[in-house]
Amino acid sequence: MHDPMLDEVPPEEQWQVDLGEVGLFRRILNGRRWYGVDWWMVVISSFMVAFFILIAFFPTILASYDPLDQVGPRFLPPGETPDQEVIVQRTDSDLESLADLAVRDERVRTGVVQGAPSSEDIRSQADRVNAELEAGGSDDEVRLRIVRFDTLDEMLTGVTTGDVEFGVGSNAEITAVLDDYPELFIRGPITGEKGGKSFPLGTNQIGQDVLSRLAWGSRIALIIGFTASLFSLFIGVPLGLLAGYTGGKFDRVFTLIMDSLYAFPGLILAIAIAAVLGPSIINVIVAIAVLYIPTYYRIVRGQTLSTKEGLHVEAAVSIGATKSSIMRRYIFPLVIPSVAIIFSVNIADAILTGAALSFLGLGLPPTTADWGIDLARGQEFIQRAWWLITFPGIAVMLIVLAFTMLGEGLMEIFNPKLRKQ
Amino acid sequence: MHPLTLTFLIFGIPALIGLIYVYARGSSGLRSYTTTRILLTIPMILILATVVFFVMRILPGDPIDSTLGPKGTAEIKERFAEQHGLNDPIIIQYGRFVGNVFTLNFGNSLIQSQRPIVDELGERLPATLEMIIPATILALGLGIFLGTKAGVKRKSATDYSARIFSVMIYAMPIFWLGLLFQLIFGVWLGWTPIAGRIDPTIPLDRITNFLVIDSIITGNWEALRSVLAHLILPTLTLGLVLSGVFLRLTRINVIETNQEDYVAAARARGISQGTITRRYSLQNALIPVVTLIGLQVAILVAGAVLTETVFAWPGMGRYLIQRILSRDFTAVQSVIVFFALFVAFISLTVDILYSLLDPRVRY
Repeated sequence: MHDPMLDEVPPEEQWQVDLGEVGLFRRILNGRRWYGVDWWMVVISSFMVAFFILIAFFPTILASYDPLDQVGPRFLPPGETPDQEVIVQRTDSDLESLADLAVRDERVRTGVVQGAPSSEDIRSQADRVNAELEAGGSDDEVRLRIVRFDTLDEMLTGVTTGDVEFGVGSNAEITAVLDDYPELFIRGPITGEKGGKSFPLGTNQIGQDVLSRLAWGSRIALIIGFTASLFSLFIGVPLGLLAGYTGGKFDRVFTLIMDSLYAFPGLILAIAIAAVLGPSIINVIVAIAVLYIPTYYRIVRGQTLSTKEGLHVEAAVSIGATKSSIMRRYIFPLVIPSVAIIFSVNIADAILTGAALSFLGLGLPPTTADWGIDLARGQEFIQRAWWLITFPGIAVMLIVLAFTMLGEGLMEIFNPKLRKQ
Repeated sequence: MHPLTLTFLIFGIPALIGLIYVYARGSSGLRSYTTTRILLTIPMILILATVVFFVMRILPGDPIDSTLGPKGTAEIKERFAEQHGLNDPIIIQYGRFVGNVFTLNFGNSLIQSQRPIVDELGERLPATLEMIIPATILALGLGIFLGTKAGVKRKSATDYSARIFSVMIYAMPIFWLGLLFQLIFGVWLGWTPIAGRIDPTIPLDRITNFLVIDSIITGNWEALRSVLAHLILPTLTLGLVLSGVFLRLTRINVIETNQEDYVAAARARGISQGTITRRYSLQNALIPVVTLIGLQVAILVAGAVLTETVFAWPGMGRYLIQRILSRDFTAVQSVIVFFALFVAFISLTVDILYSLLDPRVRY
């Protein structure tokens, strides 16, 4: 329906014109003049939300390892570097790297300590060097003869006397006694790379990297939060519009059902549903979505009840607009701001509930990289590893804080009537 | 006497007498409102019970297998199903279940030597109440105290710290707060035990299953000390999480009432700020807080489930989780119906109390 009245665009107010001419950054700075603290809440929390979304899309920014692989020693505290295996050799030796050995046409004697994992590791490293040489078109090959010593001292003596060409062992153990062997020095890690693996937030009980699991967990949390809230929005909003606008029996029945759902502890309902459906991410989403349908229903119904008395609706009725177009075009646009605000807060709630479900062992398959699962596992080792329960909890708190602050800040800005301060 | 009966005597009877008193003294509007509310509770609970009943029936697991284990032969399984009426058509099972709900006789557990559910609830309910009552008191006390402080002196340091506290506490998963307390007070400082209700090596006669009351009645001071030590962390966890909401609401309402004309008039008459806060603002500011208690029951129950899981507290919530995992239909249904009744009863009581506190409210 074309309305000629709408062609006349009202003159813009001066501040709007000003805003049109300045850049985005200036606009953000200007916004705080009108909205104060709430503006900063929105800005800061938007950055936090954007950060979490970025990490969820590209977890590898933070995660150096596969979250499900054992990549380091078990229970490594945050910030500590894991013990490495190093090559120790005589100071007068001309050996620079394993590849130098390839030109020799004999097996090179290599010392290891009986029972240590060093022999396996140096062999696989030699294999890697050989594969590289072959790829480079060289016929040379590194061939090692592993000589096992009973103790570290015997091995180091063996290296000193030239019994073996070089020795392989734990960095920490060798460093501790190296002063007794002035002829020896540590060449470096057997992999040849400077500096080994690092685990800024430590490793868990099966040697997985805590930071990598956190980064991948943000993906799970956001998927659950967004999809579950969208689900309840798509069911709750139309139902609320319909019930509020038509009224009558339909309204009464649905309101009773929604009120019973709303009054009942949501988590317990989600527990029951999640237990029925079995562990999978889709089932968690369904269980949580059911909980929050009443939230949208109640708000939208309430707003519909009050807006349907408005003059513009009355005018629409008098020009013969159909019920569905009144709901779509005259009432729905007015409830959008409150729905957007609930949506943001709702995502935070859904993430919390999802974490609670997986903490109880009812949500996701137990191998998933998820914050709730990590917290539940971490509790078993609370006496031993504080970092296992600390960091996933901080992650949940920050993401919930971000979405809640965003929702509340927007509410204060969009809905000055609700400003209670 | 049965512990459930005792629990009802301790808490239910005074509440019922109060309700009847209000009902009799109140206006006819209040009376019809109360009647409608009670009548509305029945379909609400029926809807929930029905949903839960059918939801439990389509569970992939099976109570027969999880009870008898792999060693149950086909014959034994058949007899077990026959005994518990699991072979009957589902509609007959449903009818029996609804009948049980109305007579409040929840039937027998399917697992654990088939004890009556009422006996099992009699052990668990006091444990939960013993934790959530002090937690609610703590939440109310802390929330109202800090909320008033923050509301009276707006934009002061107290105000900002109170607001940050309430936002942080809202965003914290309750189970994580529990874990942190366990880590700090239990593991690092070693001040409190981190799991259970009482040191299992201390003997204590169970009468009411409220261990605080039991140990006082029997004069067992060693047990009392252990019980109180075990109570500290769960109560603190649940109480702190709940206090955030009360704080926010109290603060907003104190700010609002402080802008009312009668407060300005009182200030003009030279009444001290303390008196104004206590006698003028707070009295009116607290009315919405009372309604909130009713709304918070649902959060309280959900929080209790998580807190009990973290602290291995043998209450209703942990019982529910355990029985869901072992597919004990009757127990799960009963607990959920029980929770529904509990929530409905509290919110009804709070609504009626509200009409007493605020004479402007007419039903």
